[in-house]
Amino acid sequence: MTKIKNWVNHVDLRSFRFWFQLAAFVLLVYGGRLAIDLGNSLPTFSCGYNRENGGVCYLLPLQHQLAQPWSRLFSGMGLAVLTGLGTFVLWFIVINKGWCGYICPLGTIQDWITALRKKMGIRYSTYSDDQFKKLKVIKYVLLLLLIFIPLGIGGQFLSHDLGTPFCKICPGRMIVPMFNGDFSQWVIDFASTERMILTALGMFITGLFLVGSFIKKRFFCFFCPMSALHYIFAKLSPFKLIKDGGKCTRCGDCYRVCDMEIRPIADDVVSVDILKDDCIMCLKCVAACPEEGCLKVNVLGKTVFEATESGFKKRMTPPEE
Amino acid sequence: MTVEEFPIKQDLKKKVRKIETGEQRHVRHEAMEAKEVLNEIVNHFSGNPESMDYFYERFEALYCDRQKPHDDKKVIGTMCVQIPDEIIYAAGAVPVRMCNGFYADEQVGSEFMPAKSCSLVKASLGMLKSGTNPYCDDVEMIVNPTTCDQKTKTGSVMRDMGYDVYDMELPPVKESEEGREYWRRSVRKFTKNLKDITGEKVTRKKLKQTIGKVAKAQHSYHRIQQLRKAVPAPVLGKDIFLATNAFFFDDLERWTEAMDRLGDEIEQRVADKHNAAGVRTPRIIFTGSPPIFPNLKIPLMIEQADAVIVADETCSSNRLLNDMVSVDEWFLYDMVDAIADRYLKSCTCPVFTLNEDRQRRLVELYKMYNADGVVYQSFAGCQVYELEQRSIAKILEENGIPMLYIETDYSPSQSGQLSTRIEAFVESLKSRKRKLA
Repeated sequence: MTKIKNWVNHVDLRSFRFWFQLAAFVLLVYGGRLAIDLGNSLPTFSCGYNRENGGVCYLLPLQHQLAQPWSRLFSGMGLAVLTGLGTFVLWFIVINKGWCGYICPLGTIQDWITALRKKMGIRYSTYSDDQFKKLKVIKYVLLLLLIFIPLGIGGQFLSHDLGTPFCKICPGRMIVPMFNGDFSQWVIDFASTERMILTALGMFITGLFLVGSFIKKRFFCFFCPMSALHYIFAKLSPFKLIKDGGKCTRCGDCYRVCDMEIRPIADDVVSVDILKDDCIMCLKCVAACPEEGCLKVNVLGKTVFEATESGFKKRMTPPEE
Repeated sequence: MTVEEFPIKQDLKKKVRKIETGEQRHVRHEAMEAKEVLNEIVNHFSGNPESMDYFYERFEALYCDRQKPHDDKKVIGTMCVQIPDEIIYAAGAVPVRMCNGFYADEQVGSEFMPAKSCSLVKASLGMLKSGTNPYCDDVEMIVNPTTCDQKTKTGSVMRDMGYDVYDMELPPVKESEEGREYWRRSVRKFTKNLKDITGEKVTRKKLKQTIGKVAKAQHSYHRIQQLRKAVPAPVLGKDIFLATNAFFFDDLERWTEAMDRLGDEIEQRVADKHNAAGVRTPRIIFTGSPPIFPNLKIPLMIEQADAVIVADETCSSNRLLNDMVSVDEWFLYDMVDAIADRYLKSCTCPVFTLNEDRQRRLVELYKMYNADGVVYQSFAGCQVYELEQRSIAKILEENGIPMLYIETDYSPSQSGQLSTRIEAFVESLKSRKRKLA
């Protein structure tokens, strides 16, 4: 047992994540070809516009359901919404925000773009603290919009052309189907002003996504409403990121490697459940923590992966050239 | 009859000693001081690790035989723990920490400082003034960070003495993002400016290499620290203080090898359940103003009073070597930023506004090393350590950790009174231990 534990704590997280993400990507993006269907309440951007998907992102059915006429929504249909949400939550709590760091196809694509940048010898950029605080609000605004716009449609205040508004601006809609050779989403819909504006915005955001994630690690995740929705249920998950503040020297190593620039991971020595709303649970922080048992991943109270001094040394010491 | 022919006078002439110059006398005093302390470290204790001989010899060579540690390389003097060694090595020079522990030098240095100032700062200035220390001649530049007021102000004194001084700006607040960015800029600027002194540019490849070398040295230190957690204590603290002190000036790779040998020996001792101290010897965490050779007065007193220092929180030992660089993408300025963070973020130097990190660190060390008490040394006139005494005492008391606060300086005069206090403290720890058992 200690041997297995040792092996896990010394894991080369970088390559583990690479292969895990690749496998998840194949499953979700090409799963349809293998007759895999994980349903349509997945807590990750497995885009429903991709015809070969192995399961569908929950945001698509959510927006559809919420756009039902209110008479239906507040009677029998409401139950369907709740079932969908329940399934979403059940999926989600299995690995908590690990969906972002290990499974999300859009996240994986961003990591690949990052790898490309690294290969080209270009350094990443970061936000200033102020920018960070302002930007992190956006995802909540998007979440509210993707709930209230469909509700507005159902209540007949808004046009049906605003249906599934977030999907229309989500870069996933254009990028994910591309991996199956489907470029049909790369169009601006001129059917109505609303559609035109939304699809044009989508085109623009996709461009921003590609450029942004080249410059900034996990650029899009700061704005992701799925991440905001996750966070609402994060406390329910038995899969936890735990910090022992007493052991923390606040060296900031975890913050340095954090793709999401989450400062409290280094500075907060009070919280035990250290998961923050922007976290993608990539666990790079645990791998970069030099203090024995300071950061760890607990599942049902059992530690499955934790920071060790020797693990840190193995991962962080540059090879002698 | 001429004078030469007169028998008695001639005899007298033979007996007349050559008159020493002031400098020679100072050198002799330093050597005597070093020898005396080395003698105490080596001969007043039995069962010293054999691999400590390397370190005993290093100090003897440097301070008694005046052998320079680095013959062919450019030397950059550093005044505090925050100056990044990795970058200096990468620029083709060697860092030598100029913080000094000689009483003889303190006497010389007191001329430049107000009466109530810190022994360490006075001694460091004294060493630079008298120029007797073997690496004073070689030093190309002294890097002086803006840590405490006394260190900060010595910059101009050192300039007046004719040294090239580089003021490296350190923020007084380390928690804020502004502070972090401020320090990162300082370090980036330093990285660029160093080229003008050493003639070698810091490149990505070289920096990566030196990060690796320093990390290796730290690994060997960490290994020993892990072993010191063992009960019974396998090694005395005075030896570890001396060994980490040698990191100030020694050749990096040679030092690492010597530490590895020491680690091997301590590992064997732990396996053999070797006890370097007594059966009921209390285990001490040492904190506060740094013990720097030959001023190991307090650590020696502690261990002569039948206690053993198992860990410390000082900038001449643990703080110097504990925290390592963590890099996400190995680009030059990602490495430089990572190095900057290493020297600022986890630093528990009392010059910063808050000291929560130091409080937590001490409590954690106490737990990790199975300690029985804390000894807090503060040099008289070292305001920042004196100031933090209250808050540290408070947090330790809250956690039920006994602490002895000692105000001291480099003078050998008050030793009787100090050793009485230390012995009393050690006795109280022993009886506490008995009661708890």
